[in-house]
Amino acid sequence: MNKAADVVVIGGGVIGCSVAYHLAKRGAKVTLIEKREGLCLGASGSNQGGVPVALSLPESPLLGLIRESARLYKSLSQEIGYDVDYEQTGLLICSVDEKQRPHFEKHAQKMQEKGVNIRILEGDEIRKLEPVIGDDVVAGIEEWESGTVNPFKVTHGFAYAARKMGAEFLLATNIYKIEIKENRITAVVTDKGRITTDYIVTAAGAWSPEIGQMVGLTIPVKPQRGQIIVTEPLPFNERWKYICDADYLSIAFNAEAAAKSTDLRTRLGVAGNYVQKNTGTWTIGSSRDFAGYNNQGTMEATSYLAKRMIKFLHKYKEVNCIRTYAGFRPFCYADDHPIISKVDNLSGFLIATGHAGKGVTLAPLTGKFISELITENKTSMPIDALCFSRFKGMENESG
Amino acid sequence: MDNIICRCEEVTEQEIRDAIRQFDLRSVDEVKRLTGAGMGLCQGRSCEPLIRRIMAQETNRGMNHVQPLSSRPPTKPIKLEALAQEKGNES
Repeated sequence: MNKAADVVVIGGGVIGCSVAYHLAKRGAKVTLIEKREGLCLGASGSNQGGVPVALSLPESPLLGLIRESARLYKSLSQEIGYDVDYEQTGLLICSVDEKQRPHFEKHAQKMQEKGVNIRILEGDEIRKLEPVIGDDVVAGIEEWESGTVNPFKVTHGFAYAARKMGAEFLLATNIYKIEIKENRITAVVTDKGRITTDYIVTAAGAWSPEIGQMVGLTIPVKPQRGQIIVTEPLPFNERWKYICDADYLSIAFNAEAAAKSTDLRTRLGVAGNYVQKNTGTWTIGSSRDFAGYNNQGTMEATSYLAKRMIKFLHKYKEVNCIRTYAGFRPFCYADDHPIISKVDNLSGFLIATGHAGKGVTLAPLTGKFISELITENKTSMPIDALCFSRFKGMENESG
Repeated sequence: MDNIICRCEEVTEQEIRDAIRQFDLRSVDEVKRLTGAGMGLCQGRSCEPLIRRIMAQETNRGMNHVQPLSSRPPTKPIKLEALAQEKGNES
């Protein structure tokens, strides 16, 4: 079964499907390869569907990209002809530690300077607006650009729209070899046959390093495990359906500092992230640890997740938990930024991974950028901070 | 076709068949995630074989060629408070 494609996309998660959609929209003949028998079965299907703006650091090059991607979500359902359950929920970041106050006041002020609609609320005001919030919460930040989506619907929606424009999806397909001639990509060899192509886009998430190795590249990504608990359906909150922990503004995203903490919860990377779905169920996240490709949850992390949730949303301590799950964020251990890039000296090889917990958030924009890189050789926004060449000289390091 | 397959989440046979056809689904896990069937209180205990049979019919395969739903702990609902008491110190 030999074929030809303009672009072969590797990976059937939210990034791969967005890439396939955006390329098909520009008229490319796309073949997407996924090793498992289905789409959205990795990190894309093991998250909480949050699109958070105010969790970004104000000075991060990602802030502008996150805001643009959040904006693209507003019209995505209409664009692809399928409802992805986008809702502009806003975000409430709560602190249960008075010591964090100077830090998050500064965060809010810097975000305001960047034009983000954000304000600080005291604990009592928060409880008045949302009676389920616990007494431990001392203050919080509310922001209204953030939203939530159904990540399964986003992934399958992109795939559905891509198929309508002729993209082909090969599931349960393994890649044996990538053929290169004179520093150019020429073909992908799979267990279902050979596909000749000019371009390969690696969107294999935590498994991207395996693809990199096939062409002699070290893609500095490793699996960061995240565990989540799901509750029974509950009545809808009054104001905030997306609530998270001010730890995210201090230590939770700093893997290095978290690893050195004396506090076990912090070492397991547990910080509260709570999303109420349109079915009424809450997802309780999340942890961040490195355990290779073991996706079994641990009781330790689950227990800390539950404990933390009760501090923030005290009235929910009696609710039933019906499911837990875990997945692997593709964590870029060099600098915790995604890689959205061409590669020097290997024409036709592109990388779109390393998004860690921002894969769903940045999926619409990532697909757009990759399609621009392939068809125009430039992107509509600067993404120098995400280029692969930033890792030059660190080829032999590993996480 | 108006048969309710997942009684917890009230997902019908038609909804499941439509999702499989519209999105070219091949696995029960995908059906669960996209339609919500099997995501309710019983976690698919009663509807999983039914979804698997529908998947087998829609994709012209035998039942044993369709992977069963991946199981997710806990096996029975457990109170958040009980989970919180399991292990670890206060933080």
